[in-house]
Amino acid sequence: MPEKLRTILVCQGTGCISGGAGQLQEALSAELTLQKLNAVAEIKHTGCHGFCQRGPLVVIEPEGIFYTKVTQNDVPDILHSLRPGAPLVERLLYYDTVINQPIKSFHDVPFYYKQQRLVLRNCGVINPENIDDYLDAGGYKALRKALAMKPEEIIKEVKDSGLRGLGGAGFPTGRKWEAASQSPGNVKYIICNGDEGDPGAFQDRSVLEGDPHSVIEGMIIAGYAIGAHHGYAYVRNEYPFAVHRLGVAIEQARQRGYLGKNILGSKFNFDVEIFQGAGAFVCGESTALVLSIEGKRGMPRSLPRPRTTEVGLWGKPTVLNNVKTYANIPLIINNGAAWFASRGTEKSKGTAIFSLTGKVVNSGLIEVVMGTRLREIIFDIGGGIPGGRAFKAVQTGGPSGGCLPAEMLNMPVDFDSLTSAGSMMGSGGMVVMDQDTCMVDIARYFLDFTQRESCGQCIPCRIGTKQMFDILDSIIKGRGKPGDIDLLLELGHSIKESSLCALGQSAPNPVLSTIRYFRDEYEAHIFEGHCPAGVCTHCL
Amino acid sequence: MSKLTINIDGKEVQAKSGDTILETALAAGKYIPHLCYCPGLKPEALCRLCLVEMADGELITSCRVPVVRGMVIKTKSPAIDRAVRPTVELLIKYHHERCAGCPASGHCELQTVMSHLKIDRKRVRRLRPPPAKRPIDVMNRCFDYDPNRCILCGICIRTCEAIHGESLLYYIGRGHETKVAFYGDEKKCETCLKCVERCPVGTLLAKNLIEAK
Ligand SMILES: Cc1cc2nc3c(=O)[nH]c(=O)nc-3n(C[C@H](O)[C@H](O)[C@H](O)COP(=O)(O)O)c2cc1C
Ligand code: SF4
Repeated sequence: MPEKLRTILVCQGTGCISGGAGQLQEALSAELTLQKLNAVAEIKHTGCHGFCQRGPLVVIEPEGIFYTKVTQNDVPDILHSLRPGAPLVERLLYYDTVINQPIKSFHDVPFYYKQQRLVLRNCGVINPENIDDYLDAGGYKALRKALAMKPEEIIKEVKDSGLRGLGGAGFPTGRKWEAASQSPGNVKYIICNGDEGDPGAFQDRSVLEGDPHSVIEGMIIAGYAIGAHHGYAYVRNEYPFAVHRLGVAIEQARQRGYLGKNILGSKFNFDVEIFQGAGAFVCGESTALVLSIEGKRGMPRSLPRPRTTEVGLWGKPTVLNNVKTYANIPLIINNGAAWFASRGTEKSKGTAIFSLTGKVVNSGLIEVVMGTRLREIIFDIGGGIPGGRAFKAVQTGGPSGGCLPAEMLNMPVDFDSLTSAGSMMGSGGMVVMDQDTCMVDIARYFLDFTQRESCGQCIPCRIGTKQMFDILDSIIKGRGKPGDIDLLLELGHSIKESSLCALGQSAPNPVLSTIRYFRDEYEAHIFEGHCPAGVCTHCL
Repeated sequence: MSKLTINIDGKEVQAKSGDTILETALAAGKYIPHLCYCPGLKPEALCRLCLVEMADGELITSCRVPVVRGMVIKTKSPAIDRAVRPTVELLIKYHHERCAGCPASGHCELQTVMSHLKIDRKRVRRLRPPPAKRPIDVMNRCFDYDPNRCILCGICIRTCEAIHGESLLYYIGRGHETKVAFYGDEKKCETCLKCVERCPVGTLLAKNLIEAK
């Protein structure tokens, strides 16, 4: 059979699937046969390509021709365009409103070329359900290399890389591994945190759906580094495609000897099991997650307590890392710590991955080097605010992050800058808000989420977040009282200081940051019965 | 057990190694507010009221921290007050029942906390009202559970666990709707009533007590 000339990549990320990408792919396959083009092109399904807003997406390689918002009706034209001399389907190309021209290849679309897709290198490119695709892309080379290294050497490499956990807290990954490797005992565990309970976030899901083997490879290397033989991938129930593709990937990795006994002829044994979480936000917290795998109610445990690296799952030393943290490991092992550490800022190395959503022209899954300015993310990659509206704020870090105003757009995005501005990196949510957004209403929205997701065990978080929500709710309904801002500040401070876990300790952030940067909006609601953004209908 | 001294609020206090700061303070007659601590049970630091200030200014839950020779702690400070007072005020606001007529009145831990902190009713009145009252759970043949009085200290759950290996009582629900329930295990209850005995407020009440009222 002649070498296929073209590959038609059909994005099957959750976003594109909900736009009909499944049927689209079937139609493409049927039409390919009908037009007798099977010898010319093959169809491949991939994970999330990133530009979810323009989905369903179709990419034709090797040129990278980029078709957006594709429907089944476009199938005959797309296939016709593969014939020699035939024109591209111009109406499906991305139209750049700055240069007023359609752009042919996705490499030239601003949404993509301003990014550095390292962790996402395979997402939207390989078929996640075919291990050969991953191998062709250099997959499991890092594992082979790692197995020839000493565990201490791997830990040193990860430490030197400066990689910090991408699940929220930004804890140095190498130090975590070192602590677990030094904890005594023959039985240790590796856990991958794929709970991702933040509303609107889809970074971890996309990595699991688009490149599950990179996560598995990272987990195996972690296992070898600390001396663990068993790993759990905790994935939330609501992620059926992620669970399915990870399951397929694990099975294929076992068949090829990357998982199981004597991996690649070494003496090292390791296997991974999927644990489907019940979908509580708080179960993403490390101690709650461990309890949840043990079959108990997921409730965080108070400090001081032994670290999970000493007493973790079933009481054994455990390394718990985020999905994206593991996906970084093969990169570091393959390219070396220095290569990785050359990217990013002094204290935040590598890249950050965000689900860019809200009032932004180009929403989707993006990856940028740490230290990229908020402005570049929102205006260059995100294409700015739609409809000529003005930018008002950006919220990072999920439901417990803060809202940052226009004055902070030049701020570099890294762990420490975001925290000092009253927000956080979190697991990678980024919501853009325009002039029509009411900041009190936004704070209320996030507090509504956290107060419902509070596990209920400690008083400040259980009652305090509910009380903050009730106050915000009455403010937007025109029933705010003169002392309410002070009361919110008092409560917020107390909840942050005294809550048991990081859910409560960060829950007041949306309120405290909006009071810090948009206090006048609170005052307008309370004292003038007026919503400056015109959102709260009770305040006119 | 070896003896050591620590400094609480400027006074040297004798402590047994292995004891927690809270235990040491209480033994020395120095009260620190607490609701979920119960002698003999594993401290879980759920109520967050026993915060004390360490020499470096850090606030820690004294029920979970063992004493260390030479430790210097404060049980009262502006930082502690800012963290703890709003919590107690919220708890009172959400405590639906009045003390008059409550069988626990007079030996209620919440009353002790309130009077220790000299809770100002005016500040409590600033808060928004709690959600509607919830029905009393009368499932158990020997005692009832009143969610409107419950502070969710978890002492009943930990007690049941300590005595019977696995607790028949569980937390159910999330957020402010969280409560304690048998979850279908009430028939297995051996009615030792230890949980009722240890309830620091008037949430778990033996049935004859209620009828006698
Ligand atoms: C309420 C709450 C929810 C969390 N949810 C997640 C989550 O969904 N995914 C995640 O990786 N980490 C989550 N975390 C952070 C974890 O506790 C933990 O720090 C992280 O998984 C460690 O991995 P890392 O070092 O790779 O970041 C959450 C923390 C809290 C307090
Ligand atoms: S802070 Fe909230 S989520 Fe965390 S332990 Fe307390 S009640 Fe549970």
